[in-house]
Amino acid sequence: MKNTIIKFENVSKDFSKNNQKTFKEFLPALFLGEKTVDRFTVFKDISFEIKKGECVGIIGPNGSGKSTILKLIAGVMSPTSGTISVQGRISPLIELGAGMHPELTGRENIFLNGAILGLSRKQIVENIQSIIDFSEIEEFIDQPIKHYSSGMYMRLAFSIAIHVKPEILIVDEILGVGDASFQEKCFKKMEEFKTNGVTIILVSHNLNQIEKFCNRVIYINHHRIQHDGHANKAIKIYASDQK
Amino acid sequence: MQELFKEIASIVKWRELLWQMVGREVKARYKQSVLGYFWVILNPLAQMLVMSFAFSIILRIPTNASSHIPYSIFLFVGLLPWTLFSNSLGSASASLVGSASLITKVYFPRTILVVSTIIAKIIDFLFASTVLIAYMVYYHIPISFSILWIFPIFFIQQIFTLGLSLFFAAANLLYRDIQYLLSLILILWMYLTPVIYPADIVPDQYKFIFQLNPLSVIINAYRQVILGGLEPKYSSLLIALALSVLTLVIGLKYFKSREKIFADNI
Repeated sequence: MKNTIIKFENVSKDFSKNNQKTFKEFLPALFLGEKTVDRFTVFKDISFEIKKGECVGIIGPNGSGKSTILKLIAGVMSPTSGTISVQGRISPLIELGAGMHPELTGRENIFLNGAILGLSRKQIVENIQSIIDFSEIEEFIDQPIKHYSSGMYMRLAFSIAIHVKPEILIVDEILGVGDASFQEKCFKKMEEFKTNGVTIILVSHNLNQIEKFCNRVIYINHHRIQHDGHANKAIKIYASDQK
Repeated sequence: MQELFKEIASIVKWRELLWQMVGREVKARYKQSVLGYFWVILNPLAQMLVMSFAFSIILRIPTNASSHIPYSIFLFVGLLPWTLFSNSLGSASASLVGSASLITKVYFPRTILVVSTIIAKIIDFLFASTVLIAYMVYYHIPISFSILWIFPIFFIQQIFTLGLSLFFAAANLLYRDIQYLLSLILILWMYLTPVIYPADIVPDQYKFIFQLNPLSVIINAYRQVILGGLEPKYSSLLIALALSVLTLVIGLKYFKSREKIFADNI
């Protein structure tokens, strides 16, 4: 039996938004008895398990909580109630390049981003050539990345993220990056991960991508999991709900 | 306390990230401006010169016990650590908000953002201190072995700074006003700390304010060990140490209790 690598048990997530971001707004609101905190529920009591090596797609309309699930898995957010257990090194491909600094060179950013993703200096040094090769921007690597085009920027970020040797790869809508040939390359790399037993969780609005790539799909809507199972079926249900 | 050791352990585990973040801060500044690191030296130097003019030539504040010491040096010994404190606290409080994009995307110990900002400021401080050393050599200020006391005093200062920074950084995420409030607090705080005047001209009935203010004990102690060639007052230093550790424990506790909702609130 394969072991469970991600487990959600009765997980709920509420957001409480402060309506007033400054004292100037907050103090009058407090005196007038207005609501100072708004709560809204993203999802309620959802449970699922993901086993090692599975490739799971998450679909649903905007605001249904797809990205929130990824953030919970990544440990960036905490659930309001319920428990989440995650084992293994995670590489988040959530909006790539979050830690990049525009004034630093490509090479310096590799070290910085690698460290953010939890690599040691030694691991980065060992992999740096391969990161540069994969990104195909060798000739610009010692220039500040503020001079990069957005495509080059994304290539570099993607290239760093896949060299973390993740056990769990979380991918959020990123495959719109770069030109067609680089996208092709990214998909190939992800296929390679898949065959190597890396667990992949993919969020996308592109149902074709999901169907092509994932064997299991979780469809989430109206605060609940509507369907969890075979990709074709989940996508069909989702499509019929959309009408 | 246990929380503190756990946090230290996780920062040690993520030390590579810590150094990278410090490097990011330092390198980015160096690259952005023509004068680069020179600003770090020029800034306190200019401040010191103008303040010396205002307070020793116009206002004639005495330097008392160390009367053979020129006012400019007397001032600088206090001004440098104060600037370090005030810059660290100011930048560290803004550090979480400034790294919003990271906080919502990747997991790592959040305290690293605060600690790395403070370390970067310490590096600035070391650069700025070279001016003081040059100054002291120029004026032939005698120094004794008691100068080694600056290391424990510096350590206490950093504990205090870190504790307050953790508190303000977390609070600032909830209400951005905290930043503005903090800059007001820092201005008032400077005047209630013997930076521009010596501690011993403070009237007796107000001395308690200064004893409870770790910064005033710390700055006074720097002056005693650097300029006076004396040993610091142990009792005051111990109180400052105890207050600083307490501040750190409370600051960290608050930070950790808010940490879970950082990503929700940015």
